[in-house]
Amino acid sequence: MSTVDRRAFLARTAAVAAAAAAGASAIPGVAWAGGPARFGPGAYVRPRPEAFADPTELTLAEAAWMIKNGRLTPADLVEAYLARVGAYEPVYQAFNTVLADQARAAAKAAGKRRHTGPLHGIPLAIKDNYWTAGVRTTANSYLFQDFVPPHDATAVARLKANGAIVLGKTQMGPLATTRATTPDGRVTTVNAWTPTIPGTDPGGSSTGTATSVAGRLATSGTGTQTGGSITAPSNAQNLTGLKPTMGRVSLAGIIPLSYTRDHPGPLARDARDAAIMLTAMAGEDPADPRTQGLPRVPDLVEAATPVYSGRKVRARWSTRIGVLPGYADGTSATALARQAFLSTVDKIEGVRLVDVPLPDEWDLLTGGAFNNVRLPERSEPFMPYLRTDLRGFGVSVTGWLQGALLGANEFITGQRAKLLLLERVLDQIFARCDVVVQTGPVPFDILGLPEIGFPIGFTPAGVPIGTILGGEPYAEDRLLSVVAAYQAVTDWHWRRPPNPPAPAASALRSSPALTDRGRLTADDVVAQMQ
Amino acid sequence: MAPTPATDAELDVMIRARLASLGIDLDQLPPGTASDPATGAPGRDSVLASLRSFVRGSVTAIAAYQLPAPAGSDPASAAALSQQPAPMLYPSISTEWRK
Repeated sequence: MSTVDRRAFLARTAAVAAAAAAGASAIPGVAWAGGPARFGPGAYVRPRPEAFADPTELTLAEAAWMIKNGRLTPADLVEAYLARVGAYEPVYQAFNTVLADQARAAAKAAGKRRHTGPLHGIPLAIKDNYWTAGVRTTANSYLFQDFVPPHDATAVARLKANGAIVLGKTQMGPLATTRATTPDGRVTTVNAWTPTIPGTDPGGSSTGTATSVAGRLATSGTGTQTGGSITAPSNAQNLTGLKPTMGRVSLAGIIPLSYTRDHPGPLARDARDAAIMLTAMAGEDPADPRTQGLPRVPDLVEAATPVYSGRKVRARWSTRIGVLPGYADGTSATALARQAFLSTVDKIEGVRLVDVPLPDEWDLLTGGAFNNVRLPERSEPFMPYLRTDLRGFGVSVTGWLQGALLGANEFITGQRAKLLLLERVLDQIFARCDVVVQTGPVPFDILGLPEIGFPIGFTPAGVPIGTILGGEPYAEDRLLSVVAAYQAVTDWHWRRPPNPPAPAASALRSSPALTDRGRLTADDVVAQMQ
Repeated sequence: MAPTPATDAELDVMIRARLASLGIDLDQLPPGTASDPATGAPGRDSVLASLRSFVRGSVTAIAAYQLPAPAGSDPASAAALSQQPAPMLYPSISTEWRK
């Protein structure tokens, strides 16, 4: 046993022994116990004038400034959000549990406690596959409908250690497969930009978190991404979502979908907020070996702080942005937004666009068949349920059965192909650039590489358009720096959806638009699943 | 000589047998193609059709994939060399211990 292995083993043994001595639950795993992260002054931003009047308009960094300077109390901030939840949640249906009483109590306590950092007293929306101690955690599945975790997921514990308040648990695709629906496929959550049109894709599976942050029902929130579930809802709802490199954030205490591809991360209002959230969530965890032995978490907030030469924004680091073939081709609204995005970043001092090729066999190694190599990862841990309760998977069951049919030979070939694909990405893309545009999230989800989704425009109908940048392993800081520079010269990220009109909101409560928003079948889930 | 492609009936037997060997009984699902009105779980005939498509598509495509020969070697000798890339569950994490 190596020194590193022995140290990790001893740390875990000691933690298990401590938990046993304390009479902890029989459920394996140990609650994370640590202190707040370190943040520099960049985590606090004086609010824009228009944001002073409405606490729910404040970004996380702005709210942090207000609280730190005594201009806003956590209690007032929580009440402001709860008021919006009361008014608009019947339309948005972003949450499956709102923790109003607990949030009020936590805010009151935060008001009396020593300031812990930028997340002090900040209300967050937590995806319902993150364990929350004593609070039902369902992953929107019949299988977990009565599951009450004994402790918080490590990521939630870290956020709370930094002072954050859990405002509620959010709607999600059943077991994190699709846009948010009930376990039997009934659509719940709408896109905050088109609340009366349930057919508009709100992005999945971290749908409720995206709708709650976009609709100003929470300051920021958490998601998980296996096949685009952070970047897709962020793109769909004008948010900045950061899927970090595999291992950056512990998966301990998160209901699994596909263990080599599940990435916890934030959905936020801009790059700086995403950086604050990830700084709190990231780091080594004795309960998750994937987090150990990795590069230290860099100063993400500094990376997400724009740099100026005089009054002109420049890149924090000289950065080559790789452009894949076909990325901005065509005349669709998305293509036009991508063209405008490239034109804008190309004007930022220190940024250079470079054409990069699609690596050899890109379509094959990132396409449907090789993407499906992930499926045994979902069937294997769920075998007890597959043997006894197939109907408990609801509309999502087919993917789990597919996983059970993929043989070990094919699974191993798939793992070999992942290394091949990574080496091609490093040699053929990242030899020529520092970050690269993405036309979809799956390739870098297969590889565990970081991605950031952010807004770049709107369709003529007013639906947000976003894009994705991908980075090298553990280069979240570089991704944040590029998006921060772009957001310093654009205003897409400042735009908020209008409130559902109050009369419409009340009328909607008894209308079919609330009770019948469409339904996904099992075949739909197979076609869309993450 | 390539084997004769399996018929639907043969695949159904294979799928049911494979799942049964793991302890999974497809008859937990409703008969026919209609989904369970209470849970939305699909009918077993619908699931079998989807699973046949999966076997013919993804399983076959992955199994047929020939990893390339190591750089600098003759592709014709790839099978004999048996020097495929190592299987890697976590490619991004591996970059840290491969530095």
